[in-house]
Amino acid sequence: MGKRLAGIFWSLLFLAVPVLGVLTFAVAPAYDHWLPKDVSEHGGSIDSLFYFILALTGVVFVVTEVVLFWFMWKYDAAKQSGPATYIQGSHTLEVVWTIIPAATLLFLAIYQMNAWADVKMRRPAMEPTVEVVARQFEWRLRYPGRDGSLGTPDDLFLVNDLHLPVDEDVLIQLKSMDVLHSFFLPNVRIKQDAVPGMKIPVWFKARDVGEYDIVCAELCGWGHYKMKGRVTFESRADFDAWLERKYAEQGTTQPPAPADDVAAN
Amino acid sequence: MTPPPTTATPAVDHGSAVVHAPAHAAEGGIGHFLSTYVFSKDHKVIGLQFLFSTLLWFLIGGLLALAVRWQVAWPWSDVPVVGKLFAQEGGQMAPEFYTMLFTMHATVMIFLVIIPILAGAFGNFLIPLMIGADDMAFPTLNMLSYWFMWPAFVCFGASFFVEGGAASGGWTSYPTLSTNPASSPASGMGQTLWLLGLTFVGVSSMLGSVNYMTTIILMRAPGMTMFRLPMTIWAMFITAVLQAFALPVLTAAGFMQLSDRMLGTGFFSPEGNVVNNAIAGAGGGQPLLWQHLFWFYSHPAVYIMILPAMGMVSDILTVFARKPLFGYRPMVYSIAGIAGLGFIVWGHHMFMSGMNPALGITFMVSTMMIALPSAVKTFNWLGTLWGGKIQFTTSMLFAISFVSMFIIGGLSGIFMAATPVDIFIHDTYFIVAHFHYVLFAGTAMGVWAAIYFWFPKMFGRTMNEFWGKVHFFLTFIFLNGTFFTMHILGAVGFPRRLADAYHYETFHHLQPLNAFMTYCAIGMVATQVIFAANFIYSMFWGPVAGRNPWNANTLEWTAPSPPGHGNFDYQPVVYRGPYEYSVPGVEKDHLMQTDPPNAAAVAAAAAAH
Amino acid sequence: MIKPRQSPLPGMKMVSRSGLRVVPVLAVLVAAVGCGRTPPAAFRLNMVQATKSAAPEAGMEKPWAGWARERQAQVATILEAMFGTPDEPVALAETGLDHAKLALAAGPVRSDIVGRKNGLYREHCAHCHGISGDGMGPTAAFLNPYPRDYRPGKFKFKGTWRDARPSRDDLVRLLHQGVPGSSMPSFALLPPAQVDALVEYVRYLSIRGETELALYSYAEQELGTDDRFPETREFLVDEILTPIVEKWQGAEEAAIPIAAVPANVDFSKPGDDPANRESVARGRTLFHGDGGCVKCHGVTALGDGQANDYDDWNKVIVEWSKEVSGGLAAGKSDAARSAWLHAAEDVIEGDALRPRTIPPRNLRLGLYRGGRRPLDLYRRLYTGINGAPMPGVGPSGPGGKGSVPDEEIWHIVNYIRSLPYDFDGELGVDRPLVAKDRF
Repeated sequence: MGKRLAGIFWSLLFLAVPVLGVLTFAVAPAYDHWLPKDVSEHGGSIDSLFYFILALTGVVFVVTEVVLFWFMWKYDAAKQSGPATYIQGSHTLEVVWTIIPAATLLFLAIYQMNAWADVKMRRPAMEPTVEVVARQFEWRLRYPGRDGSLGTPDDLFLVNDLHLPVDEDVLIQLKSMDVLHSFFLPNVRIKQDAVPGMKIPVWFKARDVGEYDIVCAELCGWGHYKMKGRVTFESRADFDAWLERKYAEQGTTQPPAPADDVAAN
Repeated sequence: MTPPPTTATPAVDHGSAVVHAPAHAAEGGIGHFLSTYVFSKDHKVIGLQFLFSTLLWFLIGGLLALAVRWQVAWPWSDVPVVGKLFAQEGGQMAPEFYTMLFTMHATVMIFLVIIPILAGAFGNFLIPLMIGADDMAFPTLNMLSYWFMWPAFVCFGASFFVEGGAASGGWTSYPTLSTNPASSPASGMGQTLWLLGLTFVGVSSMLGSVNYMTTIILMRAPGMTMFRLPMTIWAMFITAVLQAFALPVLTAAGFMQLSDRMLGTGFFSPEGNVVNNAIAGAGGGQPLLWQHLFWFYSHPAVYIMILPAMGMVSDILTVFARKPLFGYRPMVYSIAGIAGLGFIVWGHHMFMSGMNPALGITFMVSTMMIALPSAVKTFNWLGTLWGGKIQFTTSMLFAISFVSMFIIGGLSGIFMAATPVDIFIHDTYFIVAHFHYVLFAGTAMGVWAAIYFWFPKMFGRTMNEFWGKVHFFLTFIFLNGTFFTMHILGAVGFPRRLADAYHYETFHHLQPLNAFMTYCAIGMVATQVIFAANFIYSMFWGPVAGRNPWNANTLEWTAPSPPGHGNFDYQPVVYRGPYEYSVPGVEKDHLMQTDPPNAAAVAAAAAAH
Repeated sequence: MIKPRQSPLPGMKMVSRSGLRVVPVLAVLVAAVGCGRTPPAAFRLNMVQATKSAAPEAGMEKPWAGWARERQAQVATILEAMFGTPDEPVALAETGLDHAKLALAAGPVRSDIVGRKNGLYREHCAHCHGISGDGMGPTAAFLNPYPRDYRPGKFKFKGTWRDARPSRDDLVRLLHQGVPGSSMPSFALLPPAQVDALVEYVRYLSIRGETELALYSYAEQELGTDDRFPETREFLVDEILTPIVEKWQGAEEAAIPIAAVPANVDFSKPGDDPANRESVARGRTLFHGDGGCVKCHGVTALGDGQANDYDDWNKVIVEWSKEVSGGLAAGKSDAARSAWLHAAEDVIEGDALRPRTIPPRNLRLGLYRGGRRPLDLYRRLYTGINGAPMPGVGPSGPGGKGSVPDEEIWHIVNYIRSLPYDFDGELGVDRPLVAKDRF
């Protein structure tokens, strides 16, 4: 009796795994502990892939864990009077549970190739909107100046405060000044390591205006946590106006009048 | 050893806690002590040396993790114990200290705990015993493989005390953070010592792997064909192959990085690379080269870190389910498949690295495929439990939890194999959740299962079952509390390795969850005190165990507990496979591998099919 | 089936549970070792100056070490009374500091997120700049250049006369921009209230540091061996504190005059544009001539001129170190002096950063630590850089005359801005650096 109770206890402990596991995932979104808001065009396909895999693995998770629980419950020695079943295996089962997962996994792999290619391989033919140079521990930005090309004396140099036009393809030229960093925009579903010695293009299109985080996602030293930037998506008109303000500021030859707030813009 | 007797092993056994006197007993004094217990060439002593050393480092690695968790939960607050080092700032740790904590936590756990405990402790102890040999093929080499760990211990241990502290570039040690001595405080002596320590661990592992492969191929007992080997041995064998082929790449890469740092070469630094206003050297290299070389080893390394546990768990499940392993050959092929495929998936650690995106496609396919043999193994474990007669001993509980937790770890891997999804979850806590599930909830649980299981064979006494179950229960609860919600954090995009993530809009509401996880982590580490006490107490005062307290059928259970020099009373001859439990038509519920064929039993078994 | 536990001896009870008596013992040990809370953060004295100014009088009888400690203790007490502690700052009315802002910046970083508004300095600054603003936080030794030591009250990048203090706007701008090319990051993303609080706290730490220095200076000049500092409000506030505060408050009015930009200068166009050619040529002439720039910055402006000077913070250590070793080498000292010299040696070794030379800037990189606007470059040129060997070409004070007329400084600015694009029109930062490149 005591042994049977113990067996029940342990089986139920293992049943808690799928139960609490599913519960955690079910409840998390209600507390805002879930995928952050996505404002990009391609983000939808990434998110749906995430959900697809979640559903698939969720089903497998529940089924296998419940089966595990069920076997623990049913085949408890305290409950079984006869000997265990002497069986070496089942060829049929092996074939079935090899072929089906293999096919599923292969299907998953092929199904996702397009999404990957869109984000990382199909670069739009355009000039870079901005050059982002990661450095310990900030994001240095370089916009083309009024002449529209990067690398000329009228370029605009800024730090951490990235502005981009919404509803347009943007191309970012990502570089690093010193060590590895990673340009991560959680709300745009974009991540790309910045590698010293390499110029890596990053492209996307934002659909909504707003201000979002830029996070460094590759350990770059003690200040890795500090590499916070903000990306602001705004209409083309606002973006151009902002650029103009910044161009003017960069050419400042007089200190601001006392009434002006240095922190503006 | 004497030839085997013609009768089967006696059913009643009084065990033996006496170690056979070593051949060199004639020497007395310190020389004798040193050669018997310190520089021993007996695989069992070496195995125990590995076990004790790695368990100590497990404690250190766990404490480092607690400090990490403390900072993540309550950034910049007064840290217990560690805060004394920062008395000037009122106990708040410096950010570079945090980077050191997670670097050394991972380094210690991977190189000084998991790899040596699986191959060094259990591989060493079990391989000759389970294949019926009297020792390893190269006992002196074996001894050296343990003693090469000591320079590694000294290097890693000393690195905590040098100027700048222990290595803090992540256990992955990516250039140019790790190659330029000015890029971070620990990029000086700490990083150099880290690389040296890694080299010593590599040498130790390579020496061991040569030994294991040779022993398993050449020193099996008569009748022990390859397909009568227990899964533990198959796993150790394949792991040894992995180590032999993969480690040289890491060692070479380590030398290249040392050379970049100390000789000014530029394997990994691009031309003109300047970090913290210091130029590193000649340049002309590529940081990505390191990543390829490193992951070419470190991906097989993760299989090195799980396959032995899979093998041991397979064996333990059969013992306590009292039935054969379901699908023995498919299981063997799966292990081989995991190992083989393991060599062509390394790029999945580098999807965001800037390597050619086309490789993102190829590595995605191979990575998806490597989930297949693991799935097959999981189904076979479930098949092993089906129809069994399950005894819920501590060891069995840990073994079952391995299966349960491995399901979680394995399934979470599918998310990151999916390259587009990896764009979002790379370098977030989703990854941290995945590898802690496979390495801690998986391998470490498997290790505990193995410790509770083979403890009687090692020390001649059993561990306490009640406290073992308490240890299991609390560890199981706390580990899931600590690591399961990391999947959720990862879904938010919470990045790894950040000393303070809460100043980002996206993450600043996640602090309470992290606090909860840290409480669970503290509970988890505190629970190990129970294990330590049980282990130490049982070593000396536990109930004496016989030869075969679990009624298992593999060869090591025919030897005394603990076995003396030479292991067996007589040369075992093997007549059966490793899982002869509940054989129909046989009165006993198990047959040892050495039990000679009995015509009646064979006929009855044939009739029953 | 598992066999029941066997007892090794008949009659011996299985004592598995009592063996775990060791658990509570272990727990108590663990708790004793490490669970005490760390004492609150405390300011450190400026040991370099404290020791430097504590030269014993010839023939001093009492042991030097005890006497020096007593004096330091008095300084510490005075400073605590006047300025408080890192957790509880005090702002005397005479300092003009806003206590509310100080409270926001001071104290430990709270661990609960809701309402976490305090501890800004410790969250953002202390690990480099140190709790006392001494530029010797835990990370400092590994940074190049070292973080600023606020205590002498010298700041490099500002818009006031060279020896004046920075204005509040200067400090806010510094926090916004960071210092590109150094480890000082940009804090532009912090809310303005937090930036203001940090600026106030930096001024507080600087005023405190300068007060400490003033006390040592007074001790060196006025106090005899047996004298103590007068602990009167009159002395401490009127004589010591007020001159310091006046300099800070005067900074708001001490902005340098900015000359009008000449007609042949157009900063919105590149240097090789016809609009600027004349000006850039004039700038080059001045750079090589009256400006006196090539001596340090080199003929090619790569920063490869003379390069073995120190900035003021490092110079203090270097010069004092020479004095100390000279004194030790000279040998003939009495016990007190010998104790002083040895203590000095220990402080230089253990309580100060290893001195580093300051290389002249490589002007072809396009990386300007104090800001890249023409206004910023004008300011650097006009006053030079306070604390660094870079001299100014403008007048040294109001109504003075510099080596270059004020409007002509704009031409030098124009020339400098053209330098990174001088090689094939490519930005200097993209060019591979060769060994002789400096920063």
